[in-house]
Amino acid sequence: MKKLLLVSLLVIAMMLFVGGVASANGGPHGDYTATTDACAGCHRAHTATSDNLLMADSTYDLCVSCHGGSATGANTNVDDGVFVSGRGGDEGTSTADGAALLGGGFVNYGGAAASSTHDPTGADNMAWGAGNERGVLAAISENLDCASCHDPHGSPNYRIIKEEINGVAVTVAQSDEGAGKNYGVVSWSAQQSNVCGACHNPYQHATADTTTGTFTHAVDVTYGGSTSFTDGNGDTVSVDLASGYVVCQTCHFPHGTSASMTGYADGAGPAGDSALLRKDNRGVCQACHQK
Amino acid sequence: MSATTKPTPPPNLNSAEKRRRRLLLAILAGLTLLLLFVTFLFIRYLNKPEPLPELLPVPVEVNYPPHYLLSIYDVDGPVGVATSPEGDRIYVTEMRGERLIKTFDTDGNLLGSFSPPRTTSGERSPVYIATDSRGRVYVTDRLQHAIIVYDRDGSYLDTILSPSLTLSEYVAKHTGSTPAPGSFSYNIFEEDVFYKDAEGNEQTLPRPDYALWAPLGIRFDASDRMLLTDVTEDAHSVRVVPSDIILSPNWLDFDLSAMQFGTSGQGDGQFLFPNSAVDDSQDRVIVTDGNNGRLSVWNGQGEFLFHFGSGSGDGALSLPRGEAIDGRDRLHVVDAVGQNVKVYDFSGPEPGYLFSFGSMGVRNGQFNYPNDIALDDSGRLYVTDRENNRIQVWSY
Repeated sequence: MKKLLLVSLLVIAMMLFVGGVASANGGPHGDYTATTDACAGCHRAHTATSDNLLMADSTYDLCVSCHGGSATGANTNVDDGVFVSGRGGDEGTSTADGAALLGGGFVNYGGAAASSTHDPTGADNMAWGAGNERGVLAAISENLDCASCHDPHGSPNYRIIKEEINGVAVTVAQSDEGAGKNYGVVSWSAQQSNVCGACHNPYQHATADTTTGTFTHAVDVTYGGSTSFTDGNGDTVSVDLASGYVVCQTCHFPHGTSASMTGYADGAGPAGDSALLRKDNRGVCQACHQK
Repeated sequence: MSATTKPTPPPNLNSAEKRRRRLLLAILAGLTLLLLFVTFLFIRYLNKPEPLPELLPVPVEVNYPPHYLLSIYDVDGPVGVATSPEGDRIYVTEMRGERLIKTFDTDGNLLGSFSPPRTTSGERSPVYIATDSRGRVYVTDRLQHAIIVYDRDGSYLDTILSPSLTLSEYVAKHTGSTPAPGSFSYNIFEEDVFYKDAEGNEQTLPRPDYALWAPLGIRFDASDRMLLTDVTEDAHSVRVVPSDIILSPNWLDFDLSAMQFGTSGQGDGQFLFPNSAVDDSQDRVIVTDGNNGRLSVWNGQGEFLFHFGSGSGDGALSLPRGEAIDGRDRLHVVDAVGQNVKVYDFSGPEPGYLFSFGSMGVRNGQFNYPNDIALDDSGRLYVTDRENNRIQVWSY
């Protein structure tokens, strides 16, 4: 009995210790202790310069103070869409150094300039399909910035995705990545489309939906075929499923892409750009449909 | 009989009157000279707003904040800043746009720009910058995972690839001869190292195989020791590199492992993204412990002493980044989220908070995510004002 008590106390002590120095969601984004002094990292109780008691006129400016191209406070450089740990390989236990972030990049991706991005600077509140009609831009409830989709204080969702986006409840299961997170390896759950669907609702359909007079590719459906295609030149293109499901992120980057659009694909996207697609031209189609 | 009148003699001034007139004349001349001098200073200040000469000695115990002088534009998201040893040049790194290192004179005129050879803007991320006593410019690059070294004019010299390998060393080992500075290049996104052979023809070598690291903050002290922060994942630390390594004739036997201290974490002797390190006159090394929101102080032997600056109240730090210390042991720390520069007195055994300057905004003297600071010998302070896309110049 004493041994059991001792082990229990030891486990509780370890849990308390780990909770104090680390965060399941990463860095300063959650798992705060009762006596934390982390608040002042971003907020002022009485002398804040903007709402939410932030020391920031722009949420994006605040976030890129750590996560920007200089990566002065984080390894996840969202401007360039790259993980810069300086630690070398170790793929499998944690993110490999230089690994491309699954979200893409807001300024560059893969060392090339972004060709289309979500605008995270808070300058725009328009989203395709927000008015429940595909192919039409409409306003969402707020101007888009980092905090529109991510909760800086932590979240039970994958990658601190907010539990409510654009007024819509969002659930994206936190996948079990083991002891170390891996930002470069797909570990999405099948619910990943819920993040996009909060603003782009009419694009999230698991069946052929024609309610607005157009057809859209199904998402949130399983796919058992190959997701990799090699052409006659030996060039290969592949995409990733989410636990066997096709989700929005199978074909699109949520942050930004450097994919190039040429020929018929040039300007053919809904925004006249690369439409956040993961592959050049329509490589994402070929990965599965292999024509 | 006519009466003759003698001409009236000039009034015979007595000596007291003469002295009075001479005194008045001297005062008038003095005032004229003073007026001319003040006019000269005024015109000089209008043409070149620099600190005026100190006519009276300033008591050293007086501590007052500096005042805003001017801003230098032509930069896109400036992050790091350094001055040349002579104080005649200002070097600035950019986070956005072309991500160049830009050189300005002290009046803010753009002299030129440079970047790592064979890289595009998406392949480089210059962050912190420093100059040694020879005027060489060292730039840490987060995407290249290296310290890239240039001469005073921005010509590429060499790359410190890892704590134990320079690019010149790698090329020398493979070619059997010491390469001329800048006759080689390597981009971590490419497979080959390029160098020029004895005939001047370009040749290639396979990319070097070495352990990556993550150098971030870089400073040189008065004796040319390099103080470097390393944010390699799970191994955040500070390195103090002796000057004989830095100043050696070549870097063919490079080794930065002399002194390294600190680990990753939130406890004593631990760091979370240390952004810069400087030393004071007591040989203490003071580290801005960025994500822990504090200063971390170590002795000259690399032993942890104490933390300072966390919590709330005057002098409490939010997100300390670049720092610089002056000859009076006044430590200037840029607080990126606090939107100001905080100044501490490190002249005694216990540091004390002195004052801060700046506030959030877009006007002159206001900051929008400042990140780094450099001082020169004339009392000028250069602060990178990242989101206002400028370098602010302040002066004591």
